[in-house]
Amino acid sequence: MSVPAGEPIIELAGISKTFGDRDGRVVAVDKVGLRIGRGEFVTLVGPSGCGKSTLFNIAAGLADPDPGGEIRFAGTRRAGRDLLGKVSFMPQRDLLLPWRRVIDNAILALEVEGMRRADARRKAGAMLPEFGLAGFERHYPHQLSGGMRQRVALIRTFLFERDLMLLDEPFGALDALTRTMMQRWLLDVWQRHRRSILFITHDIEEAIFLGDRVVVMTARPGRIKLDVPVALPRPRPAHVATSAEFLRIKTKLLDAIEEESMKSFMAAGA
Amino acid sequence: MAGRVLALQVGTIAACLVLWEALARGLGGPTAVMPPVSAVLLDVAANHQVLLRGVLRTLTETVLGFAAGAAFGFLAGAAFAESRLLERLLLPLLVVSQTVPVIAFGALVVIWFGNGILSKMVIAFYLTFFPVTVNTLRGLLSVDRQRIDLMRSFGASPWCLFWRLRLPFALPAIMASLLLGVSLSLVGAIVGEWFGDTVGLGIMLVQAMYAENLPRLWSVVMACGVLGAGLYGILAAVERRFVWWGREL
Repeated sequence: MSVPAGEPIIELAGISKTFGDRDGRVVAVDKVGLRIGRGEFVTLVGPSGCGKSTLFNIAAGLADPDPGGEIRFAGTRRAGRDLLGKVSFMPQRDLLLPWRRVIDNAILALEVEGMRRADARRKAGAMLPEFGLAGFERHYPHQLSGGMRQRVALIRTFLFERDLMLLDEPFGALDALTRTMMQRWLLDVWQRHRRSILFITHDIEEAIFLGDRVVVMTARPGRIKLDVPVALPRPRPAHVATSAEFLRIKTKLLDAIEEESMKSFMAAGA
Repeated sequence: MAGRVLALQVGTIAACLVLWEALARGLGGPTAVMPPVSAVLLDVAANHQVLLRGVLRTLTETVLGFAAGAAFGFLAGAAFAESRLLERLLLPLLVVSQTVPVIAFGALVVIWFGNGILSKMVIAFYLTFFPVTVNTLRGLLSVDRQRIDLMRSFGASPWCLFWRLRLPFALPAIMASLLLGVSLSLVGAIVGEWFGDTVGLGIMLVQAMYAENLPRLWSVVMACGVLGAGLYGILAAVERRFVWWGREL
């Protein structure tokens, strides 16, 4: 699936999602427009419960948006369901299958695609050292730490090679040091493979450090509040976090997010 | 450590047997009421050929009835999990069928299916399939939404979803019902023999009862116990070895 240069890999226009029936309607996402260029790394931040995950499910083809919106994927207009199997999706929880060894969890998507098990294992086996899992291929998930489980889930996502990857707080459960390592590593992989990434995070510094653009969502109903380009040159060294540009963006984002968090806090209290 | 525990377990059983022997003899009651264990073991030795034949017969009935019940229960549970409509139409019937105690239509089963192996199989089947159906259904439906969504995002077909996710997820629950089912199957086979047969542990129990042959009655009871424990033990070992992830789900 190759996309002509300049064409966005995915473009959402006027996407809304309403849950519930007449008795209680909740608008989770309200007329969201979002465009991710080919090879672009977009990070998405917002207060909890702002509909980020709903938006993700729509972009992965797992949930249908309300009628009226439009999804264009690789230049073609698509119904939500058409996206199943076209987008590499990683949910917050690792969702490893306890009866499968590390290597067999890693190849789950390849197996679903119909690749021979031996070939898939060889392919995944070669990636284990890069993910810090060398020597663990025959372990079961319950024998691993939370960070290692998350890395197995990441291999599983990466082996499902699609032009668009949706990552929902993939590093949220990792300790600070591992997290930094994984961020650098992710940027490295992204730069080599030029996949487009939409990345949800709660961590503003992570959002700036990783993204070409940081998108801020409002409190429920979720709308796009801000779309800030990050004009920091790549590769970005660790100390980029102390640069003036970084701090300028961070201030802007913090203000926006605080305003939204306050809103959702007040709404919850009312 | 494991060796010491085993030694203690064997010792406990031996102590119980010695206590049995001592009580039966020491109380001085008529051995017709409670024979000493030595008399029972002597009877087992003297009667071992008939006993072995009975064990093999009852084992055959139990295993065949259990296998049929497990297979039917699994298929019914899987079908109900796929179709809510089917579940609503048929599951109530299966529930009603289970409210009739098996004893109530044992005679009917023997008239319909003859007094050979088949009728006992049917009774064992009847007792086994229901718990397996219910647990298969529950297990298959208990897979959480997020796991299913992840598989769907990989483009998994319903078939692939079933084999790679739902079934392994349900196996611990299915296995629990099989452990229950195998014990029930043995009960079914033994009770089934009461309605008419010439070979098997169940009919040997009835014969010993009418003959008031207490050592024989006890030796058959022991054989039933060994058979039940053996079947349960085999399935429990299979569970420990192959379906160990129940607590990890």
